[in-house]
Amino acid sequence: MSIIYDPLHDCKMVGALRAFHGISDSMTIIHGRNGCHCGALLLQTLSSEQNSVRILFSGLKSSDEVYSGEERLASAIRLADRTFSPRAIAVLNCSAPAIMGEDVAGLQLLLEDEIEAKLIAMDAGGPEGPAWLGYEEALSRLVSQMRINEGEPKKGINLLGFKADDFCSQGDITEMKRMLLDQGLLVNCVLSGSSFEQMQKAPQAELNVLLGGDGLECAKAMQEQFDIPYIAVPYPYGLNKSIQFVETIVEAMGKQADPRILVQEKERTKKTVERAHMFFQGIYSTPVAVIGESGRAFDLAEFLSEELGMDVKLLAISSCNYSTTDRMNATDAPCRKMMVEPDRHDMNLALKDAAVSIIFGSSFEKRIASELSASLVRLSYPILDQISLSNLPYAGFSGIASISESIINSILNRNKDEIRA
Amino acid sequence: MQPDELDLITRDEAPILETMRSIYSAIPMHHLAAIHGKIAGAMVVANAITDALPLIHGPVGCAFQRKLNPFTLSSTFYDSPCTNLNNVDVVYGAEEKLSRAIVECDEKYSPGLIMVITTCTTDLIGDDIPAAVLKAKEKVGCDVVYSTGDSVGKSRPVGIQDSLNSIADQLICREDVERNEGSVNLINSPTQRNANKLLEMAGLLSQMNIKINKICFDHTTTKDMLDLARADLNIIGYRMSWAELMKKRMGTEYCQITGWHRYNQKKDPETISPYGLAGSTRVLKEIAQIMGKEGEAESVIEKSRTAVLSKLQSASKELQGIKVAVPVGFSLNLLKDIGVDVAALIYRTQTLTHGVTDRAIQEIERANLSLAEIYDYHPELLINPTPKEELEAFKRLNINLVVAPAKIAHFYNRVGFRTVDLNEFAQKEMSVGFLPSLKLCRVFREAMGKMRVRSPLLDLMEFDEGISNLTPHWAKIALSFHHLRSTKFSQSSYHHFHGLAGVALNEHNI
Repeated sequence: MSIIYDPLHDCKMVGALRAFHGISDSMTIIHGRNGCHCGALLLQTLSSEQNSVRILFSGLKSSDEVYSGEERLASAIRLADRTFSPRAIAVLNCSAPAIMGEDVAGLQLLLEDEIEAKLIAMDAGGPEGPAWLGYEEALSRLVSQMRINEGEPKKGINLLGFKADDFCSQGDITEMKRMLLDQGLLVNCVLSGSSFEQMQKAPQAELNVLLGGDGLECAKAMQEQFDIPYIAVPYPYGLNKSIQFVETIVEAMGKQADPRILVQEKERTKKTVERAHMFFQGIYSTPVAVIGESGRAFDLAEFLSEELGMDVKLLAISSCNYSTTDRMNATDAPCRKMMVEPDRHDMNLALKDAAVSIIFGSSFEKRIASELSASLVRLSYPILDQISLSNLPYAGFSGIASISESIINSILNRNKDEIRA
Repeated sequence: MQPDELDLITRDEAPILETMRSIYSAIPMHHLAAIHGKIAGAMVVANAITDALPLIHGPVGCAFQRKLNPFTLSSTFYDSPCTNLNNVDVVYGAEEKLSRAIVECDEKYSPGLIMVITTCTTDLIGDDIPAAVLKAKEKVGCDVVYSTGDSVGKSRPVGIQDSLNSIADQLICREDVERNEGSVNLINSPTQRNANKLLEMAGLLSQMNIKINKICFDHTTTKDMLDLARADLNIIGYRMSWAELMKKRMGTEYCQITGWHRYNQKKDPETISPYGLAGSTRVLKEIAQIMGKEGEAESVIEKSRTAVLSKLQSASKELQGIKVAVPVGFSLNLLKDIGVDVAALIYRTQTLTHGVTDRAIQEIERANLSLAEIYDYHPELLINPTPKEELEAFKRLNINLVVAPAKIAHFYNRVGFRTVDLNEFAQKEMSVGFLPSLKLCRVFREAMGKMRVRSPLLDLMEFDEGISNLTPHWAKIALSFHHLRSTKFSQSSYHHFHGLAGVALNEHNI
């Protein structure tokens, strides 16, 4: 078995950060060395809303590795509380302090009465595991902060597994809410993409819905604590997945999806396709590769394969979740070859072998796309070299137009003279 | 890079490359709101050597996040294999894993050099890195070095300094070296990887019969690094621990062209800047003296200097007397060459306070004012002015042009001041030689001829009163960062210092 590993995914700290940072009035303190803080700050600054980056550094220095950094961390917590007045402060205990055995939980107890914000501390050392486990654990840590109002009837659903720093995430969540509202369903809370107060009210929902299977630990904890059932739905890329998304949720709520609305959406999609149908015909059978997180990539690959008629030669899952094994074992795999959390060097060799025209991936696939003269459609985390200000979705019925635009334009825009033979 | 490979250098970079750099310029890195960490610096060095491969001895996050290059956000470190440490390794150690990983890297990537970069995890668990590397070296067909961040003290940027020092210590410094007598190495920063700005200097030295052994970093290979040992002299842009080590171990002299060491010897302000006609003349003569070529140098310098001086007379005609406001730190020599009048000097000391004593801050002020006086400038010195104070002073002084980076240009433009961003010039052109003065003329002429920006959309935004290139939220993030890293971190409140706006950061002060 190979030892060296050039990963497609990050460590537990960044997974946890993605979960906590989605709470819009929270601050996250990176209790680690400056490189961890710098990386976390850059990932958020380059991939999400620049006016809403809420990350602080505990200031841990090498000398603290001898004498403990707890005092410095306590100072950072106090400063965050007084300077930014957040509703919650998440402390992520990174590799160095985790190995040093910093008592972050003790600090949490010590400062609980001193600061206004709710304090959530979590060990997130690099050797402890991958990002997706950090995301799952962080979401489940939020459950202890949730409050149920027994006098208030339960209403609507929660969407779990949302990641605010995914590309087009704001457009996607708006579209998902619209699709559900059209069916008379309210979204009670998005995890994590809500304020702290909204998150606290998550137990008021009737159902937890896991996007692409992300957020399972949190859903299980909420089921145990608040008796809220949960279901997993596909990430709604394309027409079929969008219909499945709506129907699965509506049926789990004991209702029937309104067929008239679905017919209208199909009609709208038809008109979209009509406007560029010659290009839709033209991209049929295009050899492509999909690289992305489990909660998104399987559904994207199915959309590309089943609806756009593309030939998905390689599906590389950059980061797993608890559903990955089930999805891998499904009978109708939407691809010819599948790799799970592969080494980047190995994946690049597979990409060369697959001879694809388009790679659906992250910013880190830019070089291999360039080497293969393939188009790169940025859809997977992290996207650090493209921004989205228009709030157009890639998901849902409305997302079909924008995702198709991106795909078709990625081919039309190419300068043939720049492409190597 | 060999001197006969100079054609490899891209002489005229596409403008988009500079735009790709500047689009990230407002992101507060470089000690403003974050510090890169030693791994990032080591990755810069590994990336600057074309056939080198970094091997990160640590968990996946250290490899994944380090793909981002905080020194140059427009470039990515695509190859960052790691040893994928887990909790078991933390308990039992990972030396054997590292040895096997080095061998695997050699088999998989076939690099010329493997650079092992340790992380805080491996630093803490105390793996015997030298032993693990030594064991692996016997089994691989390439060179292997390791960088732990411990060899250079607080010499900044630590990751860059330490990895270069490690290369010098473990690779370059050796006994069986065939010397290239009478030759020098021209060494720039591995963050730049562009030898373009060293070309004129290389040409002038060649005319003095001083051989150019190597120019790095630009298309630099592991062999080039090894061959650095052949030269008699290293000419370095700023303090480099590895040059000091080469002097100690191999007797290779070095000439550091920037820095305050010369000024400190005689308190002569004219020794501050190595640029412009005056600075370059002085530095070239100094190099010639070290190499025993004073005789040849005199005529070469005079000929080139006179030729440029004659062109400058016409090129700078329309700049004569133009009143400019300049941050302390930019070469007054160059400004004197192009004939502008330095009417205001803005001195922002806040970022300096993290690596410089109060006395040194005052000395910098004194030296710059003395130099201004020698050049017959009579600038008003503005120390950490508030935005309001700054604009009022500029109006009073009838400033025609403000030297300011693009990220804060809108602040001046909206009240009618023209601005010039010298970052690109500093990165690509500013070097020892006479041509930069001519190039600076062009930059200033273009700035004066540029359409005025009358209503920048950025004016819709609220920026911080103190740190005017950041929003109030980001200013608080930056100030919190500084406070928490300071020795006064335990105080419950922090002071709000003003005026980080416009601080130009480059290799000299990061």
